[in-house]
Amino acid sequence: MNATACYFVSAMADENTEIARGLQRRDPDLLDHLIEKYQHRLLRYLVYLTGCGELAEDLFQETWVRVLERGRQYDGRHDFSTWLFAIARNLVIDHLRRKRPETPDSLGDGDDSALLDITATGQPSAFDATVQREQNEQISAGMQHIPAEYREALVLRFQEGMSLGEIANVTGAPLGTVKSRIYRGLSALEAWLRGAQL
Amino acid sequence: MSTDSMNSDPMSSDPHERARMLIASAGLERPGPEDPSKAEPSPVEQSWLAVHLESCTTCREFAENSCVTIRLLRGIQITAGERLVSATQMRVRQRAEELQRQQERLWVVCACCAAVTLSTVVSTALLWRGFAWIGQQARLSTPVWEGGFLVFYLMPAVFTGIFLLARGAFLADHNGSYQVDPRV
Repeated sequence: MNATACYFVSAMADENTEIARGLQRRDPDLLDHLIEKYQHRLLRYLVYLTGCGELAEDLFQETWVRVLERGRQYDGRHDFSTWLFAIARNLVIDHLRRKRPETPDSLGDGDDSALLDITATGQPSAFDATVQREQNEQISAGMQHIPAEYREALVLRFQEGMSLGEIANVTGAPLGTVKSRIYRGLSALEAWLRGAQL
Repeated sequence: MSTDSMNSDPMSSDPHERARMLIASAGLERPGPEDPSKAEPSPVEQSWLAVHLESCTTCREFAENSCVTIRLLRGIQITAGERLVSATQMRVRQRAEELQRQQERLWVVCACCAAVTLSTVVSTALLWRGFAWIGQQARLSTPVWEGGFLVFYLMPAVFTGIFLLARGAFLADHNGSYQVDPRV
């Protein structure tokens, strides 16, 4: 490993240790900072996982309350975001378990009737905005038509930029299963997009 | 059981399946880690994939389609509103204050328990000696003054229990609370 990589790895480890110490103290200022830092990533993950904007917002708040309550369990050895997403995932599973007790151990497929509430931002022109919006709608609809486990793997890999190992940590699935989910999810999404464009 | 858990071997014997799984795992334009041994896929797999893609049109097409899909995926912006963030921060702060108060109460309860235990140990020893002295002065047999000690020792707890039971029965008879005369 070269010096730059060492520096970044060391800086990340320091940051995680600092977060762990702050969570031990239940430091509200640290939590405010973390909420701001991870707001978009966490909400995006929850929106894709639940397929419902309102539910995602409720679970967003629940996740941070859970982070406060269970913060002493975070030891700083893993990346904070991995731990955060694992908490959010468990809350979604708990919610689904309450809603549909027959599928307690998996994410299931969420509410099929709910569409992703996605806001596209940052377009330079009206034409680009329209194209972007159409593409967003297509891909959102496609994401709703693939199983939740595949959807989750795609979001973590391609939107959150997590490594395969980190995804395995968040989902609790073996590495091979993670790879398989990404492959199958991508294939299913592509097939759906091809069908939608015809 | 998960739908994919039956078939999760990334190193499929089918070279096309293997190539597509590698393409999917690799993603698009993702900066690799500084340490090449941690690259996903590994350099060996990447070179195998490059050779395979040169000769396989269908896998190349899959790779191109994957690029488009991943670009579309990354183009989606979902942002949390300021209201949600501030509401969450406020809720977390309130919960933190609650937990703080709970912890303070717990400390008070623990301190009280420790004080009561200490005073019980000290007072029991003193009382025991006192009863032994009284028994000796009154020329009572040991079981008699020991019985007296036991009755004296348990009496506060017995009276408190009777009082609480009586109070509970009173409250139950009066619908859980004291009635207030509306004329007053």
